[in-house]
Amino acid sequence: MPETLKFHFTPVDEARAEEKNVHEKASTNVADTVEVLQGQFPGAIAKVSVYAGEYTAFVKRESLLQVCTALKETLGFTYLVDLAGVDRFCEDAPRYEVYYAIVNLDTGKRLRLKVLVDEEDAVVPSLTGLFKAADWNERECYDMLGIRFEGHPDLRRMYMPEDFAYHPQRKEFPLLGIPGSLPLPPRVPEGELTMDPFAAARSGSPAKSYQEPKGEDA
Amino acid sequence: MSVATPYHDREAIFSFWPRHNETLLKRLESKDAWLSTRRGIEVSRVEDALEHEMTLNIGPQHPATHGVLRCVVKLDGERIEKCVLDIGYLHRGIEKLAESKTYQEFMPYTDRMDYLSPYANNVAWCMAVEKLANIEVPDRAQWIRMIMCELARISSHLLWLGVGLMDAGAVSVFLWTFQGREDLYSIFDEVSGARFTVSHSRIGGLATDLSPTAIAMIRDFATRYEEIIKGWQKLLNRNRIWIDRNRDIGVISKEEAIELGLTGPNLRGSGVPYDIRIFEPYLKYNEVDFTIPIREEGDCLARYHIRVEEMLESIRIINQCLDRLPEGPIRTDDAKKAYPSKDEVYYSMEGMIHDFMYTETGVAPPKGAASYHAIESPKGELGFYLESDGTGCPWRARLNAPSFTNLQGLESMMEGHPVADIVVLIGSIDPVMGEADR
Repeated sequence: MPETLKFHFTPVDEARAEEKNVHEKASTNVADTVEVLQGQFPGAIAKVSVYAGEYTAFVKRESLLQVCTALKETLGFTYLVDLAGVDRFCEDAPRYEVYYAIVNLDTGKRLRLKVLVDEEDAVVPSLTGLFKAADWNERECYDMLGIRFEGHPDLRRMYMPEDFAYHPQRKEFPLLGIPGSLPLPPRVPEGELTMDPFAAARSGSPAKSYQEPKGEDA
Repeated sequence: MSVATPYHDREAIFSFWPRHNETLLKRLESKDAWLSTRRGIEVSRVEDALEHEMTLNIGPQHPATHGVLRCVVKLDGERIEKCVLDIGYLHRGIEKLAESKTYQEFMPYTDRMDYLSPYANNVAWCMAVEKLANIEVPDRAQWIRMIMCELARISSHLLWLGVGLMDAGAVSVFLWTFQGREDLYSIFDEVSGARFTVSHSRIGGLATDLSPTAIAMIRDFATRYEEIIKGWQKLLNRNRIWIDRNRDIGVISKEEAIELGLTGPNLRGSGVPYDIRIFEPYLKYNEVDFTIPIREEGDCLARYHIRVEEMLESIRIINQCLDRLPEGPIRTDDAKKAYPSKDEVYYSMEGMIHDFMYTETGVAPPKGAASYHAIESPKGELGFYLESDGTGCPWRARLNAPSFTNLQGLESMMEGHPVADIVVLIGSIDPVMGEADR
């Protein structure tokens, strides 16, 4: 009896937690901290994922402040290293996520928290009250992805000017930008404002970066 | 009040982005000086009858701002009452660009982040990708990376030292440190073929091995510069002018430094022993003998001492690496994970196909994988948080730039100091706008 043959689609290489990563660090093994948090705030942590020895705790938005306060005050995670947003775009339901990297300097541990954010209600409680370091990072996240941080004292854009109307790191924002969204100085002294710096890439004629001298007979 | 000027002739002064400048000035009015508030210092609010107050815009085109940093400061006479930093003048959106590049293609962009130590950025990126895709790196490549990272650290600190002293008025040191940078450029040129933007590291290893000439040059540099740096220490450590310009300027306590999220020498200058080389040893840092300089004072002088001592430690590390440099391959021998060697590419069909495939698609980490890897770059913790969607391009590449976090601290640090200290403070924080603006 011959074996029944099956057609195999190109397999999707899923991330596996059990695989030993050669670059795994002892500092990211925070299983005990996550356990403490789960015990202290039942239901606050929706999911814990592990990849390359790094723990990511998915915290519910409404309990983020509670969890972070506990992390800072009782568990010694006082040093906020990084905060940024991710646009998941095609993935299931909540479109955005905000990730927090917090370090415990005494025990030498690094923890990652994640908060899932809905597109319609893209608001996350601000951590500026706990970590001053979150200030600029939250502003950057707002600038790039349009996620608002509730309670932030100064939610201006970080990089783009206030006059800019888009959030450029969203996946639907085109790489070449939107013509006219950001007026730039003229390329030649008496020229018009540059409305589209990538005119050449859009198969238009490139703007000259120099001015032709006037001819004798002109 | 002279504060009103920018509002009155706003049209005449700013022809670009009026709303941006308006909100910036509004913020300057509404904010409070964080450090004074935290320290409980009562700032007296007297009526400005003599019109001592004014709003001054320093940068983005000022040479002392080390790039395109814009400081909008509110002055009371010569004292800075409040300060708002405006960055983004060098924003290229490299995080967005990374999303449409393969992992290897993104390498040249990392050169242009912290352009004073390109090699460290290359290594940071490679190691982040290697962690994400679980790629092993041969020993020799790791040791060479370590040598080059430390050379990059010296190169970056040399620039900081020269420019910092030039900001304070001593031009000759600038010329000496640039002599040192010139020697380092020659080494990078010999190693990678490029003086400035090296792009020498590869995912899974290195592009080329060190030539005997390069090793001799590095050894020569390490021996000569140990003496030279000690000579500079003799000149500066007890230099009255340098000390007076730096001592008790921009003091940040240990707790404040942690709360502000400072990294690198700025954090260690406040007495926090946080160095990724010790905290989570990467490469072979756990196998060499070195110390991380730490100071408790938290002022500009402490940061100066730390950087100079770090250069000496780097030389110590380089010497050990050169002594222990093992023989062996410089790139992992798995064509699915790293470029095949050029011998294979030129003389075998498979090699060429693999080379083509690697350029076209490159390494494809598993779907849903996400990892963060940081190295101790000259400026501090330089980390990449990567998310993969199973293709050859990162779904999200997040750059945790040390200059960005340090600049955030600078905003608070400036408040309360005279205008003349701005240049010294910016110098002591050592920001690179290419990195801070991403």
